[in-house]
Amino acid sequence: MLGYIGRRAYHSVISVIGLLTLVFFLTRLTGDPSALYLPLDSSLEARQAFARLNGLDQPIYVQFFQYLQNLMSLDFGQSLRQNRSAIDVALEAFPATLKLALVAMTLATVLAIVVGALAAARPRSLFDRIAGLVSLAGASTPDFWIAIVGILVFAVGLGMLPTSGTGTALHWIMPIVVLMLRPFGLLVQVVRGTMISALASPFIKTAHAKGMKRRKIIFGHALRNSLLPVITVAGDLATGLINGAVVVETIFGWPGIGKLMIDSIIQRDFAVVQSTILVTAIAIFIVNIAIDLLYAVLDPRIRY
Amino acid sequence: MENKSVRVIAGAMVVAGWAGYAAAQSASEIKIVLPEQPANLEPCGTIITNVGQILSRNVVEPLTIIDPKSGQPTPGLATEWTQSDPNTWQLKLREGVKFQDGAAFNAEAVKFSIERMTGGKLTCSNIAKFGDAKLTVTPIDDLTVEIKSDKPQPILPTLLSVVMIVSPNTPADKAVNDPVGTGPFKLSSFTPQTVVLEAFDGYWGEKPAIAKASYVWRPESSIRAAMVETGEADLTPSIAIQDATNPETDFAYLNSETTAIRIDAGFAPLDDVRIRKALNLAIDWDGLAQLFGEDVQRASQMVVTGINGHDDKLAPWAFDAERARALIAEAKAAGVPVDTEIELIGRNGIYPNGTEAMEAMMAMWQDVGLNVKLTMLDVNDWLRYLQKPFPESRGPNLLQMMHDNNKGDAAFTVPIFYTSGGSYSTFNDAGLDKEVADAMAATGGDRTAKFKAIFAKVHDELAVDIPMFHMIGYTRMGSRLEWKPDITTNSEIPLANIGVKD
Repeated sequence: MLGYIGRRAYHSVISVIGLLTLVFFLTRLTGDPSALYLPLDSSLEARQAFARLNGLDQPIYVQFFQYLQNLMSLDFGQSLRQNRSAIDVALEAFPATLKLALVAMTLATVLAIVVGALAAARPRSLFDRIAGLVSLAGASTPDFWIAIVGILVFAVGLGMLPTSGTGTALHWIMPIVVLMLRPFGLLVQVVRGTMISALASPFIKTAHAKGMKRRKIIFGHALRNSLLPVITVAGDLATGLINGAVVVETIFGWPGIGKLMIDSIIQRDFAVVQSTILVTAIAIFIVNIAIDLLYAVLDPRIRY
Repeated sequence: MENKSVRVIAGAMVVAGWAGYAAAQSASEIKIVLPEQPANLEPCGTIITNVGQILSRNVVEPLTIIDPKSGQPTPGLATEWTQSDPNTWQLKLREGVKFQDGAAFNAEAVKFSIERMTGGKLTCSNIAKFGDAKLTVTPIDDLTVEIKSDKPQPILPTLLSVVMIVSPNTPADKAVNDPVGTGPFKLSSFTPQTVVLEAFDGYWGEKPAIAKASYVWRPESSIRAAMVETGEADLTPSIAIQDATNPETDFAYLNSETTAIRIDAGFAPLDDVRIRKALNLAIDWDGLAQLFGEDVQRASQMVVTGINGHDDKLAPWAFDAERARALIAEAKAAGVPVDTEIELIGRNGIYPNGTEAMEAMMAMWQDVGLNVKLTMLDVNDWLRYLQKPFPESRGPNLLQMMHDNNKGDAAFTVPIFYTSGGSYSTFNDAGLDKEVADAMAATGGDRTAKFKAIFAKVHDELAVDIPMFHMIGYTRMGSRLEWKPDITTNSEIPLANIGVKD
């Protein structure tokens, strides 16, 4: 097991270095940050001084080797925008996204498993049809639309929830609901599909023949055997949430890494872009390893 | 039993959450919601909107303050000033002022702040207003300071309105996020979610009505409007026109921005004045104004009323499609290639309905016979066309732009737009360069008259650009506050000017 983790870590380090190299050059292609950091009417001398101060006057290959050299000593550079260590800025924003993604993904997965399993147990029933409709709507409705409508209804209209921000338990409700709708919708479909296949399997018929209770057959036998594809999809969706909570974070003023990444790209804050990529890449690597290990727990035939 | 526990815990969490959310703030505490998170809290960057709106005249104060009505400098931390020769000014400083960290405010502190700004060791946006001027600051006595410049600075007191005075204990070689000034408020905290200012007990002036101000930021205009509507915030200085739907809380105000189209006069057919005039005449201005809201004002020049040099009498171009067609025909007969494709370059998100305005203008120009095609760019690409050096591959083009001058003088506008060396200028006219140089060196009424003459010349005679509208800002304010935004609101919201009703 440790050997497996080591091999995955080794491959991931190579991938991350490749990713950071790509991001380094792509960000530099976006242009000179002095156009954004200095007033539009700044003199050419001021812009040159800015470039000199931030090492942007060097040829790009020199900047790249300097970046690699700094990486070796765990120096991830300074944020042009915030005037402090870029990795600190990224690490400060990451927990907010992680907490949001973790709660949203856990709720989405648990609810989707229950709803999907119940829908599969009675295919084409009223519950199945409603679950199908709700999950399809959840998976396909744009996040920003749900967020804005949610604010208009629950904050402005009913005054039940705050419009945005953080601080109390109520501030969590709308961001979590908006964030979990898409994974919930997709996972209900996956759970339902795999459960219907599992419920038609010979071992289920045997369990029925033995007189086992229906509830135990569905949740004890069929569900356990249906979980591997669910975990695969849930893993993909979870990594997507870590990386992609941009809309939700922007609308609700949630100080997470998704919003930071977009702001930094727009502001050409190169070091922060690179640091957010690094932090999310490592998080995604950890999630993927955890999913692989979960496979082994759920299916004894899988060994690493 | 287990289910009951879960219900109790869930109920307690919701109640706790509601209590926290609904907790009333003290009458003298306010929350302001801004469109953007400040990049940092460096006092040398107060001309940047989201920094200035928090710091300027709240935490840090300038030597002079521009009167929004007259555009003239009025006393700030300097109480009076005299010019002893064209290159030298002497300032008397205010007595009884101290910094929030206890340091004394005196001539040495002013020297430190100016040298910190001009020293080149940190990125200082405000220095841009001084151009390439070199300043030498000499304390004469504790409360008198002399400022010499390498060339005449007739509006030095105006320029000093962007010099924020910071404590001498501030690092001189790096930008800071914990500014210490002499203002009525001191920084309490700065996190990724909020900035909190608290009243400074040792302030030299009148005690403000507000004891504490929290700033948060939400990029969506509709969210900012909703926050004030639900009482989560008390004030937002800027909302989009479509969100300004409540006449009791929403106020329109003339901000300092002017929108216009720059004509790249370096290429045919735009190098012909008849075509440039035709571009101005071809627009149905009343129709176009529908996209900008009923409070918008038609512009004839790139500065608003109240800026020294603005000419109220300068009439904007009227809509006259027939005359535009006649001018184009006349130019064509004289050999001007009027059929050449002209690229209209717009900027995505520059202001509400900005793209629609460009589409309408393109259609109106096509209607009078010009071959105009629209390209919309994001800000990074658009900036390449705005500032020199311009892309070499460009052809004849018209550029959508917006200019903000709330600093009291046309000197912050005219050179960059209309001189050969101006960073936005596509125009090369030695005569105009000389007129601008004369105006820049002039003082008093002579200066005003010379800038007015320049605006008249570039508008009526040369038709260098297409001034469109002086823009309107919309603010939403909760009913317990008393405050009026003005043309300086883009760069400052002085908390001391805000009254609280209850």
